[in-house]
Amino acid sequence: MNPVVQVIRLAATAGESILVDNVCFDVWPGQVTALVGASGSGKTTSALALLGEHGNGVRLGGTVEVDGQVVVDRNGPTSAAAGVKGRVVAYMPQHPGSALNPARRIGATLRELERLHHPTENVVVEALRAAQLPSDPKTLKRFPHQFSGGQRQRIAMAQALTCRPKVLVLDEPSTGLDSITRLQLVSELEGLADGGLGILLLSHDLDLVRALASQVVVLSAGQVIDSGGPEVLAVAPELAPAGTTAAGKPLLKAMSLSASLRPRGRDPILHGVDLAVRPGHCIGIVGRSGSGKTTLARCVAGLHERYTGRLLLDDQSLPVLRKRSLEQNRRIQYVWQEVRGSFDERRPVDQQVARTAQRLRGLRHTEADAEAVATLARLGVSAITAGRPPSRLSGGELQRAALARAVLAHPDVLICDEITTALDDHGTALVVELLTELKDRGTALVWIGHDLGLVAAVSDHVLVIEAGRVIEQGPPATVMTEPKHDLTRRLVRAARIGHRPPDSPPVLTSSNDTRSEPRR
Amino acid sequence: MRSYAAQRAALALVQLAVLSVLVFVLTALLPGDAAEMRFTETLTPERISRMRTQLGLDQPALERFGHWFGNVLTGDLGTSLISGGPVADIIRHSVGATLVLTLATLAVVVPLAVVLGIVMGTRENGRLDRAITSVTLALSAIPDFVIAVLLVAVFSLKLGWLPATWVGGDLLASPALLILPVAVLFGRTVCLLSRQVRAGTISALQAEYVVQARRLGVPRRQLLLRHVLPNAAVPGVQELARTGDTLLGGVLVVEAIFAIPGFATALVDGVETRDVPVVQGLTLVLAVAALVINLAADLVCNRLVPRTELLR
Repeated sequence: MNPVVQVIRLAATAGESILVDNVCFDVWPGQVTALVGASGSGKTTSALALLGEHGNGVRLGGTVEVDGQVVVDRNGPTSAAAGVKGRVVAYMPQHPGSALNPARRIGATLRELERLHHPTENVVVEALRAAQLPSDPKTLKRFPHQFSGGQRQRIAMAQALTCRPKVLVLDEPSTGLDSITRLQLVSELEGLADGGLGILLLSHDLDLVRALASQVVVLSAGQVIDSGGPEVLAVAPELAPAGTTAAGKPLLKAMSLSASLRPRGRDPILHGVDLAVRPGHCIGIVGRSGSGKTTLARCVAGLHERYTGRLLLDDQSLPVLRKRSLEQNRRIQYVWQEVRGSFDERRPVDQQVARTAQRLRGLRHTEADAEAVATLARLGVSAITAGRPPSRLSGGELQRAALARAVLAHPDVLICDEITTALDDHGTALVVELLTELKDRGTALVWIGHDLGLVAAVSDHVLVIEAGRVIEQGPPATVMTEPKHDLTRRLVRAARIGHRPPDSPPVLTSSNDTRSEPRR
Repeated sequence: MRSYAAQRAALALVQLAVLSVLVFVLTALLPGDAAEMRFTETLTPERISRMRTQLGLDQPALERFGHWFGNVLTGDLGTSLISGGPVADIIRHSVGATLVLTLATLAVVVPLAVVLGIVMGTRENGRLDRAITSVTLALSAIPDFVIAVLLVAVFSLKLGWLPATWVGGDLLASPALLILPVAVLFGRTVCLLSRQVRAGTISALQAEYVVQARRLGVPRRQLLLRHVLPNAAVPGVQELARTGDTLLGGVLVVEAIFAIPGFATALVDGVETRDVPVVQGLTLVLAVAALVINLAADLVCNRLVPRTELLR
């Protein structure tokens, strides 16, 4: 058997700077090859070379052979590259859910791809089944915005599968998936590989890589630093031991909060949720995608206006965002999951981060800039990177910039909605470290996640939400060791795919005793 | 979609109600009235007051509004104070020319602007993009009356190819009447519209979903027509609505130069003679047209990219 993809001494240069150098890997039919590395290490650049694709001003060199055709030689992409797109190599971007055309019904694009690549077969139904989506006409007639974020990712997957490629490239496929869906993803990809598909997995999710890959290539700064079987991955990082809880009056309270998508309570999405966070505390909210986590966050942030119940900050009623005062805006900050749209494309990121401190705290330009640069650096985003426009930053870097932007307001309540999904373990550790310090300074945190393991590690109190209702809550230790609800048990199990230590539920402590060190 | 359409239509009805009040109030605020304007020569106070009573101008404003609005609802726009004929007739006589002019202009401009916009958008900052941008911008920068006078001087007077005015002309017999007025209106509208399509094309081309479709092997032509155009058309459709409004209501210069008996001319005549029912009627028709055009544009945009939320 021959490899379906052979990459030999791949190089990518942009002017003087070298993005990727001397990268070699193979993808075999029916097997998973994983490219592992921090964001910015050249994973995506290497993978896009399979399509002969490169960024503006980037030169490709080396040899890339796909299905017997040379798509990149030492002069760059060849004319054969156009022919492999979709039909041989299907690429799934990092946030595949946002790669769906808002103006087209999902069926239209699927049928179009079918006509293009396999006009005589009915591949759409098969692809939808493989992506675990219903294939009834009603579903096909819906527009992307009528699906949840998780469903949109599966639609993008169905699009890729409709091309019936020989190689599937997945760029961070577990980003934004709840842990149960992530387990499903593992078995789904195993199934696809068993069917003979070669899979190239780009991921910083080491558990996912361990569960799937037969070959692993570790990239750092554009170079291969190690490659071989899954054993090249280091052992899973340990999490910090349990801590204590502090007392105090709740700073933020939500009382029987119910929310709906449409006016007058139609399409309800939250049902009577109660929530209280004390200063210096962190409340964790877990649930599957579509359970109402984000809506809850948006209610508190004042972005979701169709709700009933009460929101109190310091026992004072909290209006919706557009009626909030500047001070209320400062006190409650919200960091969400897909942040790219929230940055102005034309201005450098550091200036936009500094702006919160100027607007909300009245700092002068120079002070705000200095603070922005310092905060970004703590989060692992260098001053040089931050001085660029947002399009030049990776998803993980922008995510951290969005966090820095919120932190610069010196908020009393900070809502973090799945903010680590685009981050590798090192980035996550830096974020957790900064948040620990904020907690010590008395900031109340609302931490939303699908990964019960991480949520439990960060929070002092955990709420499990399903279908808009709180189905279980308690200290993270109790929730992890004695889950009462069936869903919680599944979340606990899902948090342990890979080789996380099964017991001793991890709880983040104050930074005085243990700091979570950057892992790996 | 259906509930959006219902909401949007309801909003249009509210706008219509507010508009009709505004139209009445604003015309009532005009200084002087028809009675004064009619008898400037033989002005005596007795005649004026007799006239006012006769025309109902001495009634309180609220009562006049109720009367007018009630009639409007039954389709009666009143009678002209000057000619004594029904306002509806005046509208009927003037609307034809304006409508023909507007539709003819749009028929030329829209296809051209869409093509130009896509051509420019797909070659952002290329030579062709800059060339088309320069020409259309230059055209739109020249005032209407300058173009009009130039065109008349060259094509009507010097070369004698095209008629200079509509006077005595019958549109159906000689469509050549339309060429010069449409040419004058062409410049600005084609510029504004193609700029919007260009901007829409550029942003759609960079959108992740277009990049992804290309990566899945969708060929270029198909990519442009099916993936880019529906998104690129949205700003274009909105601009088209504005262009339609402008053409219907504000082509006075063109009507004046080519002696076209259109809407703008009728409106100016009405204002000059303080013929309030005529001004009210014409303004109302224009306002309703603007409402309908924008309603249609919003519905089209919602169909193109169905994610717009109208009301919170």
